[in-house]
Amino acid sequence: MKNTFKVLWILVVFALIAAACGGDGDSDDDTTTTTQAAATETTAGATETTAATTTQAPDPDFAGKVLDAGGCEYGGDLEKLTAVDEFTVEFDLCKPNPAFLAQIAFGVFGIQPEEHLEATSGAPLDNPVGTGPYVLEEWVRGDSVNFSRFDDYYGPQPAHSTLVLKWATESAGRMLELQSGTVDGITFPGTEDLELIETDPNLSLLSKPEPNIFYVGFTDTFTPYDNVDVRKAIGMGIDRQQIVDIFYPVGSEVASHFTPCSVENGCQGESWYDFDPDAAKQMLSDAGYPDGFETSIFYRDVTRGYLPTPGDVAVNIQTQLRENLGIEAEVVQMESAEFIQACSSAGTCDGIHLLGWTGDYPHVTNFLDFHFGEGVAQFGGGHPEIWEPLAEASGIADASVAAPLYESANNAIKELVPMVPIAHAGAFFGASAAVEGSNAPPWGHVQLNLWDNGTDTVVFMQGNEPISLYCADESDGESLRACGQVIEALYSYDIEGNVRPQLATECAPNEALDLWTCTLRQGVLFHDGSTFDANDVVVSFTAGLDASSPLHTGNSGAFDYYSYLWNSLINVPEE
Amino acid sequence: MSKLSRHEAMEKLVAESSTDQLFEKPLGQWRLALRRFRGRKSGMVGLFLIASLILVAVFAPLIAPYDPNEDLIGEQDVRRYQEPCIHLLGCDRDQPQHLMGIDGNVRDYFSRIVYGSRVSLQLGFFTVTLALVVGSAIGAVSGYLGGWFDNIVMRFMDVILGFPALLLAIAIVAVLGPGLRNALIAIAIVTLPGYARVMRAQVLAIKESDYVAASQALGASPMQILVRRVVPNAMTPLVVLATLGIATAILEAAGLSFLGLGAQPPLAEWGSMLADYRNQVFTAPHLVFYPGLAIMITVLGFNLMGDGLRDALDPTLNR
Repeated sequence: MKNTFKVLWILVVFALIAAACGGDGDSDDDTTTTTQAAATETTAGATETTAATTTQAPDPDFAGKVLDAGGCEYGGDLEKLTAVDEFTVEFDLCKPNPAFLAQIAFGVFGIQPEEHLEATSGAPLDNPVGTGPYVLEEWVRGDSVNFSRFDDYYGPQPAHSTLVLKWATESAGRMLELQSGTVDGITFPGTEDLELIETDPNLSLLSKPEPNIFYVGFTDTFTPYDNVDVRKAIGMGIDRQQIVDIFYPVGSEVASHFTPCSVENGCQGESWYDFDPDAAKQMLSDAGYPDGFETSIFYRDVTRGYLPTPGDVAVNIQTQLRENLGIEAEVVQMESAEFIQACSSAGTCDGIHLLGWTGDYPHVTNFLDFHFGEGVAQFGGGHPEIWEPLAEASGIADASVAAPLYESANNAIKELVPMVPIAHAGAFFGASAAVEGSNAPPWGHVQLNLWDNGTDTVVFMQGNEPISLYCADESDGESLRACGQVIEALYSYDIEGNVRPQLATECAPNEALDLWTCTLRQGVLFHDGSTFDANDVVVSFTAGLDASSPLHTGNSGAFDYYSYLWNSLINVPEE
Repeated sequence: MSKLSRHEAMEKLVAESSTDQLFEKPLGQWRLALRRFRGRKSGMVGLFLIASLILVAVFAPLIAPYDPNEDLIGEQDVRRYQEPCIHLLGCDRDQPQHLMGIDGNVRDYFSRIVYGSRVSLQLGFFTVTLALVVGSAIGAVSGYLGGWFDNIVMRFMDVILGFPALLLAIAIVAVLGPGLRNALIAIAIVTLPGYARVMRAQVLAIKESDYVAASQALGASPMQILVRRVVPNAMTPLVVLATLGIATAILEAAGLSFLGLGAQPPLAEWGSMLADYRNQVFTAPHLVFYPGLAIMITVLGFNLMGDGLRDALDPTLNR
């Protein structure tokens, strides 16, 4: 009996050791990834693109590929993307798009070699191959992402040979690392730390003038928010100046419109209602709620530039609703993904929700069309008074011609109150004062290749670990910042936020703005040694846009930004 | 040394005792325990801490200078995360006094800590009472009936005990939804198997005793025996367990609130206060120090008192 137990124990111990050492075959990939391995896979797996809609272009000198949506009936913006020759691609759009350049400069539209995408079956989640200033060396899960300088980079070479990207969820933790000198820069220091950074001679505060908005949203399919006067009363009954004064850093301002004024046409139309609790209370009473009502305030405890202290702001709004309007609100903290799904995507939050938006590209459509376009569920059914002028304006290139339409849309937003714009927040990065060239651009990711701390290694710390390094299928800033060091798009943003050519030397439109011809930069090498050409562009877009493509895999498979910025994916299977 | 016979020992005892002592009414079990408890310094310190805490909770409106949920925006010239201002310790008398500083919503932190004692004590007492009543009932019936019923019930209790308490509590709250009441229920559920097990063990021992057999012989019903003979005599270890359990329950409730599953804003609860300001640990340490200290003192008080009670009620220490 005793021996039996001994044998049993030995078996258990061996099983544990085997489990710890073995795991599935990918376990090594879960902890570290090297680009050498990726490069090997790339050459081995090179095949013709098998996307259902990708066919050969009729150019005899170059086997150019085509992503063909087969028309515009599917509802999206791209009709056809053609590799005309080795260094020319044509975007044939379904409707004029004056924001095209700003849009394709967004990092999610980064280009990877077609062979690499095929070798990874459209999911290069931890082994991206790009043309950027850094090559991915290793992703040590839970600790850091390490990059090395790409010596064949065509642009300005980093002064350092190694870049380390680390993360700490709490702003206090990032601040501590910055103060102790173990990192050269951090994202979004806490509001309470800004003064510390400013007064510390060893540190510098980098203003990141990112256009953003924090708002209180209503889904107007739920009572009592189906009554416009209730929404309007709340819009007038919240002291927004108080929120900005108490909870926001310097450089923040009360929002006069949903879109910040730094975005062209963002501030057309009338400014938001002044704070008037008496009039608000009267309006609520006239709407049939003289004693207020009970509701919920939904929020997620995730710090963003537009909402530095979510919990405190939620409680402040709860207090204001009670004191100013007699509304008893329960504060409900939700898990981030669940919150976004329920309150933003599905529009199933039956109270008010606290959310915000940071601009992806410098065009007013990025703010207004996403939130108030036709069919957006977040604020209920939507209002044609808002989305009709928006739809018309989105096809007009001349900003001054589009201005009256945006004025009309903004005025309708004020009248119908789908949300209450609260604040445009000032956002900041922190850096060591010893770093030259530190930057915090308003658009796009921080350009760490310009940072020079006088040593061979630059360490930068952000708020979270990247979800994956395939940013075509990610939407969080942490992932985009990480893969932005490796992957480049046809256009990009400079540190001032201006759109500039990157992998393209120029994208020129036709007169109607619905055909954009991009001339590509020649002699550009990918990190795996392959040469960048037009087919890489077509295949990269095919992987993101064409839902029927075998390369349309990604991380979650949602490809949110492709779906949203191109209005729809191509070949979406019918439900 | 020669061994005294029983008769000789009795005569010796009588000879050494005064008449008063011989006819003095013997002390009851609880009075004896109380006398022993008073002799335990740590137990008395625990009792003092708990009594103070109860007084603070009861008289919170008199002690707290401000409403715990009202912000001071526009009323006083104070800022978020402001450090404590105590006039006796040199803080400018022109400044309003805030013994524990100001929190992120510009509220007096001392008032919130004071009111937080109410929540924590209520949580501790209600949770343990619920777990004690339900757990004891399950354990008593299970132990007394025995057989297949005992087997099934105790295996179910074993399953609950098999999960880490906080993890199971989180799972239960995730199902029921966040909130103080649900946190209370969750903690009660995860702690009740402990009470059930102890009660069952006591019942198994007691039901074999002579006085239970005597009651059976006199025709008492099983329910009468259980309620009048068995349970009262099985309560001693449960009292100790419950006292210590209050400390655990307060800690677990604070843990749930820390995770956003317990008390919801704007309720002042120490665990959620800790969670709210964990990010300010370096810039406004007072905001995490005071709720942490309050939790520590409360838990320490109940633990010391529980230890003292255990010593006082332990028959093996009856010397």
